[in-house]
Amino acid sequence: MPTSNAYKIRFRDVWQRFRIYPKRGRTLRDVFIRLSPGFLARRDLEALKGVSFAVPPGECLGIIGRNGSGKSTILRLIARIFPPSSGTVEVRGHVSPLIELGAGFHSELTGRENAILAGVILGFTRREMQKKLASILAFAGMDEFADVPIRQYSTGMLSRLGFAVATEIDPDILLVDEVLAVGDKGFQQKCLERMHNFRRQGKTMVFVSHNMDDVRSICERVLLLNDGELLMDGKPDQVIVRYEELIRELGPGRPVRKRL
Amino acid sequence: MLELLRDTYHYRELIWILALKELKVRYKRSLLGVLWAFLNPLMMTAIFVVVFSKFRVGRFGIEHYAIFLLCAMFPFTFYQQSMAYAVQSIIANGSLIKKVYIPKLVFPLAAVLANFFNLMLSLIPLAFFLWVFDHPFHKTWLYLPVPMLGLLLFTAGCGFAVAALGVFLHDIGHILEVFLRAFFFLCPVLYDLDHIPARFHPVLIWNPMLHILRGFRLPIYAGELPEPASALISILVGVVAVVLGYAIFRRFQDSFAIHV
Repeated sequence: MPTSNAYKIRFRDVWQRFRIYPKRGRTLRDVFIRLSPGFLARRDLEALKGVSFAVPPGECLGIIGRNGSGKSTILRLIARIFPPSSGTVEVRGHVSPLIELGAGFHSELTGRENAILAGVILGFTRREMQKKLASILAFAGMDEFADVPIRQYSTGMLSRLGFAVATEIDPDILLVDEVLAVGDKGFQQKCLERMHNFRRQGKTMVFVSHNMDDVRSICERVLLLNDGELLMDGKPDQVIVRYEELIRELGPGRPVRKRL
Repeated sequence: MLELLRDTYHYRELIWILALKELKVRYKRSLLGVLWAFLNPLMMTAIFVVVFSKFRVGRFGIEHYAIFLLCAMFPFTFYQQSMAYAVQSIIANGSLIKKVYIPKLVFPLAAVLANFFNLMLSLIPLAFFLWVFDHPFHKTWLYLPVPMLGLLLFTAGCGFAVAALGVFLHDIGHILEVFLRAFFFLCPVLYDLDHIPARFHPVLIWNPMLHILRGFRLPIYAGELPEPASALISILVGVVAVVLGYAIFRRFQDSFAIHV
């Protein structure tokens, strides 16, 4: 048996099934249709098929794979946004909110209120968050927009704010999903620096990206996913070579369905 | 059940922030803002007073009908509005649920809390009518925390149930609207049980709100205390509602993030 500190994240034979309905609206009419015998349009999508891995403390894990291979599903499972269909997911410590393209927390609230909200969700008090606010806004470079509802923010502003909040509240585990794709060069540089800082502090990080240079520079270990299966788990250079072969063989993958 | 109490306590700051946000959004775009919290019950009461007292539609011949009405109307309005908020509380907070782990129960609870502020504000129009009609302030007001507790629990319990169902069945909002309107007339708000022919009583006494409303009206309007059994029932109804409602909520909460 491993000791209790041997890992921060552990997946054991994790399966994730999503039910895909042809239409999103859940109205009474749909229910009646579903009850009728001829209704077979529903199908299951297996987003993860028996994935197992463990992340020791202080490791920076990269996850790569074609579109629709299950990368984001893994992040969501780590963030406990939904439980796995079967298998176990164990996570120790505070996990940052998900930062993804165009992330916002609550569109009617201002940037300032969103930052406080995110902190309170992770267990900080409002007073503690007030203190961190200055450095969050400074990092995101948006002092003048702090009191504007975030529904008026641009995509770049949103992910800058998201990244600033997620790193400033000092989580034990930082989840980063493709945030570097939107900022300008200057901001990307700031993000990379901060992620390297995180590593130096011995924090655990999970990083999803399609940019292999970023993956190589930040991660010490990489998982390669294909079609919900864990294809390879190892050093960045070897895994990235395998990934590039895969792209040549199979093409860029099935289009990402907007599940969430 | 312990989990319910623990999470409610642990996330009290978050519930508070979300409730404040609800209120902010509700009054933000209206010219008179929070004044509507007073104006709405005042106007509704005025309408019913004209119809039932002046036009003598009901012919109940009740003295100080405005007060008789208002002291049952304001708890019922609280219930009604809380339901309307709770039913869409999960869907409206979808962007949050999809990005970070939060116990989902904070959303219906915040909806109830936001309306609780309104409930407290509606004591002001009530006091206004007492003053206008020169109706005495009875010492029995001190009993009000008892029905208030019963009302809060009952509302929270129903709120849990409709919040969970609202995610999966979008029609529930419309069904609820019709149901609440019918429920309003079935509740002793416009009338008292004494005004209804005795042969209907065996049915009407099963109304779960009966003793809660009685707990408001007797002390405020008549200056009397309900019998101990009535007090006990009003609390018990609340406890049962919370246990059942939370059980339903818990059964479905894991899949909220996938369906919103």
